[in-house]
Amino acid sequence: MASVSFHNVEKAFGATKVIHGISFDIRDGEFMVLVGPSGCGKSTLLRMLAGLEEITAGTVAIDGRPVNDVDSKDRDIAMVFQSYALYPHMSVRDNMGFSLRLRKAAKSEIDARVARAAKILNLEPYLGRYPRELSGGQRQRVAMGRAIVRDPKVFLFDEPLSNLDAKLRVQMRSEIKALHQRLKTTTVYVTHDQIEAMTMADRIVVMHDGIVEQIGTPLELYDRPENLFVAQFIGSPAMNIVQGTLRRANGTAHVETPDGIRWPLGHGAGADGQAVSYGVRPDHLELAANQPHTVPAEVIVVEPTGSETELVVRIGDAQMIVETHGRPKLAPGDRVTFLVEPGNVHLFDQQTGQRLSA
Amino acid sequence: MKKIVTEAKLLLIGIPVAIWTLLPIYNLFIFSISTKNEAFSGKLWPDHPTLRNFEIVFREEHHFLGHFWRQLGNSLVIAIAVGLLTLLVATTAAFAISRLKVRGGRVVLNCALLTYFIPAAFLAVPMYKAMGTYGLLNNQWSLILAMVTIASPYAIWVLKQASDKLPFELDEAARIDGASPLQLFRLVYLPLMAPSLVAVGVYALLLAWNEYLYAFLLLSNERDLTLGVALGLFLSADDSPWELLMTTGLLYALPPAAIYYVFKRYMQSGLTAGAVKA
Repeated sequence: MASVSFHNVEKAFGATKVIHGISFDIRDGEFMVLVGPSGCGKSTLLRMLAGLEEITAGTVAIDGRPVNDVDSKDRDIAMVFQSYALYPHMSVRDNMGFSLRLRKAAKSEIDARVARAAKILNLEPYLGRYPRELSGGQRQRVAMGRAIVRDPKVFLFDEPLSNLDAKLRVQMRSEIKALHQRLKTTTVYVTHDQIEAMTMADRIVVMHDGIVEQIGTPLELYDRPENLFVAQFIGSPAMNIVQGTLRRANGTAHVETPDGIRWPLGHGAGADGQAVSYGVRPDHLELAANQPHTVPAEVIVVEPTGSETELVVRIGDAQMIVETHGRPKLAPGDRVTFLVEPGNVHLFDQQTGQRLSA
Repeated sequence: MKKIVTEAKLLLIGIPVAIWTLLPIYNLFIFSISTKNEAFSGKLWPDHPTLRNFEIVFREEHHFLGHFWRQLGNSLVIAIAVGLLTLLVATTAAFAISRLKVRGGRVVLNCALLTYFIPAAFLAVPMYKAMGTYGLLNNQWSLILAMVTIASPYAIWVLKQASDKLPFELDEAARIDGASPLQLFRLVYLPLMAPSLVAVGVYALLLAWNEYLYAFLLLSNERDLTLGVALGLFLSADDSPWELLMTTGLLYALPPAAIYYVFKRYMQSGLTAGAVKA
């Protein structure tokens, strides 16, 4: 078990800089997820921690000890690859024991540790098989088994679930989380899937274009996104955003969009007349009539999913997604009104994209 | 109906090709079981088939065949040595270029390919001079080294291409698991390259087995000759013993056929199936 820290880490491939000075710490035993769109540098950052990529500038430290010049094999880390990267000519048992064999561990110790890992991952019946004889989910488990046999200081996961089908992905997601709760090994997990990030992480690092946009617990990111990027990236369906002008008068405030809609607002920051982006999450638009803080809308599409109903509606000129619980009797073309709780809206500066905090 | 037509077309091509290929071998075989007098009679099957020719060859009872067993041995030793040495050179080169990505690897690879613009026959005389300078003439090492030189560029090229197909994540996984480059080579790379290694090794081996020009140039002592060159010597007489030449030729053709059948099943690919999600 160990902590990990990045300090002003930069990475350049030739003249192209892909990571622009990143600093953050991962606590001992923490499950940290790096999330961002493809090309944001999250995998590169993980590979730098793994020792698979040179660190152009800055310091990466494990347990307080800088590892910039330490070889992968001496960093005491284990990694699970997106493609699993199992050795095809070795049985499951040999795959899992390979690292111990390289470390010249005693045969009895290797067997014992492989058996223990196999038990945790329900791989016991498959120890004699070869990777080609396993299903995708089993291969994924072997890859994890190879990592936990080592009992490393840090686990690294590089999009480990991307190659699995949707159902298996959900299952493995909870298995990995359960594994972490059991082993409590510091884990760095890279994904582009914000749902994976939200469901698994202790804390999330949201990356974009080689910088850190925000670090926080899943609910912090959801409830208080620091900027427009995080607001739109975290949450599914994504947050609805409209561009408008902040109006303040007589102690009340609202945002007015060019189509004349007045969007309710609490006491937040921001000056009268300021150009802002106004965001409201799909589940914070509530069907309600004859109340203050409502906006008029026209239903365009109704998408029932059983427990919830997703609506696509037009409010003024903007098209928005609304998530309602239950099964409202609505049809396309219906005119309704939505209540917007002022405490639930997000306001960002249109120029900088930064949150105008309350 | 369509299937029958397709098969008929294939047979139409296949049968002539088969006849074309098998006719010389049939000729070789008929000669080897005919007496000297009957050999040229033009019959499809001799009146008195005999194994006497094989006896003469095996007992070295003709002056052209005085060193038959030794020369067969020479051919074998040289071919196997060339096969193994070529593998050693080509595998390490391909590993360094493809997996370790050493600086200048591409240049080496392109240079290797460039050598094929020069026909091997062109290099025979320079090679002869070079071997003379090293004092290796009439030494079997000269032929071995010459053949390794000729076989290696192609072998490196083929193995480099095959190496590139191995998923690079395997190397990274092995590095994180704690493998040094040498352990990576031995424990991960070699086992996965086995089919290609067999194919390339057999290629080099057969190239050396079939070589005539260089063997003829570099070795002149009768006891050091390869069987292929010794066969050529049969034609130096006015009255060549054709039936013995053909018999020896048939024997000379057997080892490659045997090697091909033994190693055929190892040359299949598909060993990497399951390493990474395709």
